[in-house]
Amino acid sequence: MSAPTGQGKSLYAGSAKGARAAAGSLSPLRSGTGYWLSSLRAMFRFELGRARQWAGMMVIVQALMGAGMALMYGFFYPHVTPARALYIATGAPTLALVPLGFVMVPSGITLERLEGTFDYVWSLPAPRSAQATAAFGLYSLISLPGALLALVVAAWRYGAHLSLSPLLIPAVFVSAVMAVALGYGMALVISNPMVMNVVANALVFFVLLFSPIVFPASQLPRWLYDLHRGLPFYNMAVVIRAGLTRGIAQDVTTAFVVLGAWALAGCATTAWAVGRRR
Amino acid sequence: MTAVPSSIVRHGLRRSWHDYASMLRWHLASLRIWMALVAIVQVLSGVGLVLGIALFFRRIPASAALYVSTGVPVINLVMIGLILGPQLVANEKTAGSYDYLRAMPVSRSVNAAAWYTVCLVNGVPAMVVSLGVASLRYSLALHVTAMLVPAVLLTALSATMLGYAIAHAISNAMVTAMVAQVLVFVVFGFSPILFPITQMPRWLGTLNWWFPFRHMAVVTRAALTPGPHPGLTTSYAVLGAWSVLCAALAGRALGRRL
Repeated sequence: MSAPTGQGKSLYAGSAKGARAAAGSLSPLRSGTGYWLSSLRAMFRFELGRARQWAGMMVIVQALMGAGMALMYGFFYPHVTPARALYIATGAPTLALVPLGFVMVPSGITLERLEGTFDYVWSLPAPRSAQATAAFGLYSLISLPGALLALVVAAWRYGAHLSLSPLLIPAVFVSAVMAVALGYGMALVISNPMVMNVVANALVFFVLLFSPIVFPASQLPRWLYDLHRGLPFYNMAVVIRAGLTRGIAQDVTTAFVVLGAWALAGCATTAWAVGRRR
Repeated sequence: MTAVPSSIVRHGLRRSWHDYASMLRWHLASLRIWMALVAIVQVLSGVGLVLGIALFFRRIPASAALYVSTGVPVINLVMIGLILGPQLVANEKTAGSYDYLRAMPVSRSVNAAAWYTVCLVNGVPAMVVSLGVASLRYSLALHVTAMLVPAVLLTALSATMLGYAIAHAISNAMVTAMVAQVLVFVVFGFSPILFPITQMPRWLGTLNWWFPFRHMAVVTRAALTPGPHPGLTTSYAVLGAWSVLCAALAGRALGRRL
């Protein structure tokens, strides 16, 4: 790269018009799809490079946790009936996706804030949407093997008969986007790491015990079921179950709409936090 | 001529008692902001488990309700020893107060005893609340015997010493946090605490014999329910052995020169 000293002198010495032209030749404000894609590629490489120390271990931990959850729920029942088996097998991948958005993303951002990387990344001349998309890609890559392994282990352990449909792809995609968008929004709005930690743990506890993901929603009290129809967790389970089975999942369209609304809310919160001056 | 500073090495029961009281005050004072939060988290997670596991069933069977109700107190005690201990030590290591505490003229055993008392103070109230909610929710007729005292004391001791060993013997704070997380997962899902051992594969049950968690549930359950409890003495012995082993590991790590 050439040294911009000569141009810098003209920037100070010249007229306002000249200065603008000089500044333009120095660092043109670029935009457009091509620029966005190249930013995305660069940011993704940046994220991968940064994560290479811990990503491998994280994938293994996620996979073990996913498979572990698929097995663990079976221990709580004296008899795992075929219906229960189907619920556990199709709920396990959903449970493996939840930590992606509600634990990994917020704790990753909290760590970045403490280390100062967060401000550094924001100062880079790449669109913030490209930065967020790159982070989303990385976290998805880390958590998807866990979700897949959870499904395989559960199907093997309980002998559940699954029938995959193309609906699974949008279901997993929307669920993952929603989880990451909400996690991002939460992490940006809640700046205290301790509070974030408590919120994330409380959410995971609520999801593992009180959400109808590995058991039918009819087992909940009415008021809790009504609450869950508006929250994202149950709807994640509905759409993913719809992609894995035939006939169990109901109100799939509504579930997609609710998930979409939560994803938008997450993006809106993120946009608000990103646009705010500090 | 320079005066040689006198340092009298004091020992004896009175000295130990004095040290114990000082360390207990130290720990309680440094935890004072946290105690309320820890108590809330403990009570909420205990009550949450008691109420939440009922949702897994359309109508929870009486035996499952009994296992959950008598298992949750164990979970309460284990969480304090296994999570709070290592977490605090990890914080002390980052903050630098760890080395300061190690430099104090207090014996390792007295320090461990003070920490054990702190864990009991934090764990037992939550345990009582969980038990109370469980007996109300499932209308259980619990049969509380005097054996509850040694059962709780030994369960808390083995959990605290395990956490103590993890915290002090592993020098990397990240690894400590991860080991503690994995152990919580194992305790919650892969140890027969909240459900009967017959509901897990036989090999996993056998494997659990070597770990303390199954035995914690056995001794606590025996003190809360009537009927014969086979293998109770063995469970007490295994818990005692784990406590001694972990205390020795922690003691060795603490005695090492830096």
